[in-house]
Amino acid sequence: MIKSITRRVVLAAAVAGLAAPALAQGADRGPVKLGAVLSLSGPAAVFGIPERDAIQAVLKQMHSTTPDGRRIDLVLVDDKSNPTEAARAVSQVINNDQVVAIIGPSTGSGILAAGPIAQRLKVPLLGPAGTLAITDPKNEFYPWVFRVAPSDIVDIRVILRDMAKSKTKKVGIFYQEDAYGKTGVDEAKIFGPTIGLNVVDTVSAPYTATDLTAQATKLRNAGVEAVFLQVSISALGSSFLKAARQVGLDVPIYANAGLAQRSFAENTGPEAEGLRVLSIGNIPFDPVGGEVELAKMLQAEGKVPQGWGELVGTNALMAAVAAIDAQKGKEITGESMRDTLETLCNFKAYARGKACFAKDKHDGWGEDALVITELRNKQLKTLD
Amino acid sequence: MLAIAEYVVRGALSGAIYALLAVPMSLMFVTVRTIDFAVGAYALIAAAVCWSVGGALGLAAGLGAAMACAAFMAIIFLALKRLGCEDHIIYALASFGLATALASLVLWWWGTQAFVRDAFSDPWSVGGIRLAPQGVINFALILLLVGALHLLIQHTSLGRMMRAAAANQTGAALASIPVQGIQVGTYLAGGLLGGLAGLLVLYSAGLDFTAPLGLTLSGFGAAIIFGIGSPLRGFFGGLAMGIAQALAAGYASAMVAGMVPFLFVLLVLTTSRFGEEALAGGRP
Repeated sequence: MIKSITRRVVLAAAVAGLAAPALAQGADRGPVKLGAVLSLSGPAAVFGIPERDAIQAVLKQMHSTTPDGRRIDLVLVDDKSNPTEAARAVSQVINNDQVVAIIGPSTGSGILAAGPIAQRLKVPLLGPAGTLAITDPKNEFYPWVFRVAPSDIVDIRVILRDMAKSKTKKVGIFYQEDAYGKTGVDEAKIFGPTIGLNVVDTVSAPYTATDLTAQATKLRNAGVEAVFLQVSISALGSSFLKAARQVGLDVPIYANAGLAQRSFAENTGPEAEGLRVLSIGNIPFDPVGGEVELAKMLQAEGKVPQGWGELVGTNALMAAVAAIDAQKGKEITGESMRDTLETLCNFKAYARGKACFAKDKHDGWGEDALVITELRNKQLKTLD
Repeated sequence: MLAIAEYVVRGALSGAIYALLAVPMSLMFVTVRTIDFAVGAYALIAAAVCWSVGGALGLAAGLGAAMACAAFMAIIFLALKRLGCEDHIIYALASFGLATALASLVLWWWGTQAFVRDAFSDPWSVGGIRLAPQGVINFALILLLVGALHLLIQHTSLGRMMRAAAANQTGAALASIPVQGIQVGTYLAGGLLGGLAGLLVLYSAGLDFTAPLGLTLSGFGAAIIFGIGSPLRGFFGGLAMGIAQALAAGYASAMVAGMVPFLFVLLVLTTSRFGEEALAGGRP
């Protein structure tokens, strides 16, 4: 009897001895915390909600574990489309939740507000915004901000080049009164003339304008041959298209990626037919490659793909996942994530195009992530 | 010359919507001495519900939803009074909170989509100016409504009771005027008028969940510019703001066009006798 007990104790000790290294490795390989500071309310919720839905769908598909087996805990906070709130939320998830990287904030102004905090607390931001200034090397916080979408300048050059293929020479611009609108109009005025497009007039409106017939009238009176819309609020876009029809502004209209949204395509009337819209991929209407995979994940969660918000949200997540797995066996901190992100190239993501970061290149995605679409029968069809 | 006339006409048509939003604010100030900042949110709720239901039933459902929200605001108002709150700023802040909650509700239920409907496909040509029929109908409807309300407030016993309830609540109550009933009725009227504004915007330019604050501020600007105590002045305030916006969009640089209407409001408030009266809360 004693012999039997002794044998069991020895066996148990042997099993415990074999298990000990594994348990120690497990302790080292505890969950990695990622923050997601996204605009879930306010005007930028148009993009923040799809970003959140896609991040959650992909994490669920991955069982919240990286390909290398590292568990991920996501800490999600709403920045309310408010830069001050974004900065506060970034501080909160770093100090309270000890995250090692942050997806967001959703807006360019939010990222600019949170950048100095990320720099001070040494945690990188993966910004899903096109705003040029967020990755300006002149920023003191430049090392800590990585862009996971094409920049506004890339967007505008692609859509203006498409416009220049027609015989259009005189262009009018309608833009929303914020940094997105202003950046767009400034870049169009610089780049347009280099490809034969002359910006003859510009008009603007705040987000909440209820009537845009005066703006459309001004462009009509200026004799523009095409109009470029630099807006991201779908109500503003559809309101301008209605106004253009009402005042007799019958010229081709082009829109930047802000209007590449399912809600815009499906809820505008016949006045939007033929509108050309730039988009990051086309997950709602013409998905290809990784977009098909992501669309299926979203549908499995009962979500309908809305636009490119899903793609840029998962670009950020997949960059963080790649950075975590690239640090196999090492302690993961905000600084190690930043250093690793600068070495990532051609990692798995659901958006089109090849993504690469480097020390002097914090814009991960470029022109090859973009497509030109045309609105036909309430759907955005990708053009060849 | 035709170009200026076109901008003035377009501005007047869009300003009529601001005028309609200004009316419930004037009414509220006349009777309760506060402002219902949820008026823009009533407009959004009405538009969203009408958009979902569709048809004539949608119009009724939209107005009903807006009035239900206004009734909820009236309950909040009564509850605050029961708790002994007599500070009119608190009522205004409560309405601001309700507006935020209603916008969040729309975002949660309907998402970020724009609500737009079309009743007419072809524009009318009036004196060489192409106009949307819906805009002309909006203007006529709002003009009739504001005229009727002005007559109601100035020339009927109900209007006298409303003004008496605002001027001296205790005295009005002693004179057997149902002060609380009038106040609750004014909140409901605000819901009805705000809802109607939302339906007119739905069939004109369209709106989304971000609209309430802008609509409320436009209505508030229209209400105060020539004196908040009269719906008729609110109507003209709305037209003035709309025309200032249209002329600014037409003739000012895009860089400054956005601020011109607010500079105009500031100029009127600081230089005219209307401004002094509005800031003092004067009544006609």
